[in-house]
Amino acid sequence: MAQNDPILKIDSLSVSYGHVKALSDISLEVGKGEIVVLVGANGAGKTSIMETVLGANVPVGGDIEFKGIHIGGVPVDKNVRNGMFLVPEGRGVFASMTVMDNLLLGAHHNLKNSDKKLQLVFDSFPVLGERKLQVAGTLSGGERQMLAIARALMSSPDMIMVDEPSIGLAPIIVNDIFEILVNLNKEGYSILLSEQNVYKALKIAHRGYVLETGRIIKSGTAEELLNDEAVREAYLGA
Amino acid sequence: MSLPLYYYLAITAIYILMSWSIYIPYRVGQLHFMTVANMAISSYFAALMAINFAWPFWLVLIVGTLLGALIGFLVSVAIGDAPCFAVVIVGFTFIYLTKTIIENVEAFGGPLGIFSIPKVLQTSSDNRTLLLIVAYALVLLTGFLISRFDHSRLGRAASAIFIDRDLAVSFGVDVKKLGMFLQTWASAVGGMSGVMYAFIMRSISPNHFTFHLIGVCMTMLFVGGYTTLWGALLAAPILWGFPLILPEALQSWNIVIYGVLLIVVLVIKPEGIITRPTVKKIESLLSRNRKKV
Amino acid sequence: MEILIAQIFNGLSIGSIYVLLVTGFNLLLLVAMIIHFSFPVVVVFSMYISWFVMTLTGSVALGVAGGIASAVVVNVITAPMFQHIMRERGSVDINATMVISMGMGMIITDILSHTFNQGFPIAFPDALTGNDQGALISVGLVSISRGQVLTLIVGIIFVAFLFWLLYKTRAGRAFRAIAEDPNGAKLVGIPLLKTGFQSYALTGILGGVTAVLMAVLLGSASAGLGDQLGHKVLAVSIIAGLGNLTGGLIIGLLLGILEAIIQGYLAGSWSNAIAFIVMLVVILAKPKGVFGSKL
Repeated sequence: MAQNDPILKIDSLSVSYGHVKALSDISLEVGKGEIVVLVGANGAGKTSIMETVLGANVPVGGDIEFKGIHIGGVPVDKNVRNGMFLVPEGRGVFASMTVMDNLLLGAHHNLKNSDKKLQLVFDSFPVLGERKLQVAGTLSGGERQMLAIARALMSSPDMIMVDEPSIGLAPIIVNDIFEILVNLNKEGYSILLSEQNVYKALKIAHRGYVLETGRIIKSGTAEELLNDEAVREAYLGA
Repeated sequence: MSLPLYYYLAITAIYILMSWSIYIPYRVGQLHFMTVANMAISSYFAALMAINFAWPFWLVLIVGTLLGALIGFLVSVAIGDAPCFAVVIVGFTFIYLTKTIIENVEAFGGPLGIFSIPKVLQTSSDNRTLLLIVAYALVLLTGFLISRFDHSRLGRAASAIFIDRDLAVSFGVDVKKLGMFLQTWASAVGGMSGVMYAFIMRSISPNHFTFHLIGVCMTMLFVGGYTTLWGALLAAPILWGFPLILPEALQSWNIVIYGVLLIVVLVIKPEGIITRPTVKKIESLLSRNRKKV
Repeated sequence: MEILIAQIFNGLSIGSIYVLLVTGFNLLLLVAMIIHFSFPVVVVFSMYISWFVMTLTGSVALGVAGGIASAVVVNVITAPMFQHIMRERGSVDINATMVISMGMGMIITDILSHTFNQGFPIAFPDALTGNDQGALISVGLVSISRGQVLTLIVGIIFVAFLFWLLYKTRAGRAFRAIAEDPNGAKLVGIPLLKTGFQSYALTGILGGVTAVLMAVLLGSASAGLGDQLGHKVLAVSIIAGLGNLTGGLIIGLLLGILEAIIQGYLAGSWSNAIAFIVMLVVILAKPKGVFGSKL
């Protein structure tokens, strides 16, 4: 499994919304420096896993460890402080606020070195530097996704969770976004990715988990999953 | 029947009706305080017609109710599907305007109000008995109609709107039409209560129909429980009754007591004391007992 | 013409009171996510506390401090109650917060009408209002009092301070994020309850300052004042569009001017009624507000 110490370790996690069981018996790991992808249809539980890790949902059972610390039931702001950040589905960018404000919100818990971090972000994403005083509502879909990722970087995270980054984007732009993720991974960020574009996601990931109605039905290295008959049939249309 | 008991029973009926008049539009999430203005308007209408034109009680009751419905309907054309806060402020504004007009027009008796509204029947005791019977008949009638509504297709549509307006719209519920219907109905109940109030008290003044009255009715509805018609029905006699048996020094603090009760109940039991599950439980208990007999 | 100028100035100072109240109301709506209908009642309560401290100690400064402190204390004490409702429901049930706020208003208004000054209206000392010193500027029929000038200046400074705070500070950024998308704000790590709590404290200060300004400008207060103001503030906020700060600023000033002009030409309680009729017509025509709601 993971080559080295896992940064995130989930052990038989269950989550319910009211009487509806959203996740049952989920166990997974993200190694340091890994890209791990969650694959599955809409409603399979990918977002639920990420939001629960982040602390937005309270688990019913099971255990979550982040950097060796138990974090089940810890609120979002503490987890963000501890070094994780979510790039939510649909970007979660604040449309009425400027690009600058959006970025600074990422560093809300630690504004001390924000100037330095802003410089780094603007170096990596010059587009955002040019538009820093525009409101985010005027950005294109791809630019918003970049902003959402840049905002995550502003929080100096160790692990970034990216939920459905390709939704609503043109294929060329999706390639750009995936390239950004690969580069971030090379810089040392661990990434937990959820994606419906299974083929592209498995191409950049180290390992993956296949989810169906709140359960993990298959896991393995990206290569194994790409060559798996059932996965090919269900998600790759082959 | 002793006079205090008569007034207690009669005013309780008015409070039940008025709390229900707030319950009815709250089925779709609108706090329609306009009904207090309807009560004031129909009350003055009743007094003036009975004194100046010697209209009989029954005619006044019917026309006063229709007057409430008419005003409620006209306003509902504009705010039938308005957000709750807009409905609230329209209600407050109507109450304020009604009060200002009453206080400043000589024909309405100014701040002192109108006195010596005629009795319906010659002797006082007959008059009181008749008014009590009519008041509780109206309570029964209104309760019956609300119960019919709550168990109908429209009642379920109203519950859907209360929980999620957008979802209800997507299911094809006509929010505006239902809102207009409920607001008109509530205003009719408000008007009806106003006529009854005028004949029961036999003197009315603008100070009877204010923010104060809203506070009392709102407390009865939300403490009793706003999800069924039983909440207001059971809370009104208790909440109206218990300050009457308190020592005099405490009696004048009844609004503070109501306010504290309102807040405490909403914080601890947000749906009020009697909820739909409570009613279901009691219904099933009753039906089991009946089978045993 | 001279009457008109005098009344416009009069209206601007009353209007700036409305603006302060509406801004406090909107901040609570946007950040704490409650409809605090009785926020103006809390402000009137602070006027009474301020008066009480002044008559007890004879010191204007202590009275001012007491007034501001009491608004902050009331807001901060009631915050956990409102926040409890929010947590219970999972999602925010704004109707319930409004009903609770009305309950609070009932309690405060009734206490004011029972206890302070045997329920009679209170009058503030000349040392605070400056009424004994006559008008500050007086040209023909136009006369402008110290209170009016003070209200206008402090009003402008305070509103400017609020906008600076909202758009230039860390807390303000978090406020705006919650106002736009509470769930999104939570996901980027903004603690909703803690930030909401800050907004209660901030609006408490705002309310306290407004209470002092009202004492200076009006010179007196009665228990029923809070309900009337609550009513107007909700109306202004709806006409401007709920949660629309800039809209509230414009409509608040307009209402002040409208009222003052009517008062200049019409006597008695009719002038108030006309302002309400105008508001009613606007709300009936546009129940969702003129400038669009931020909710």
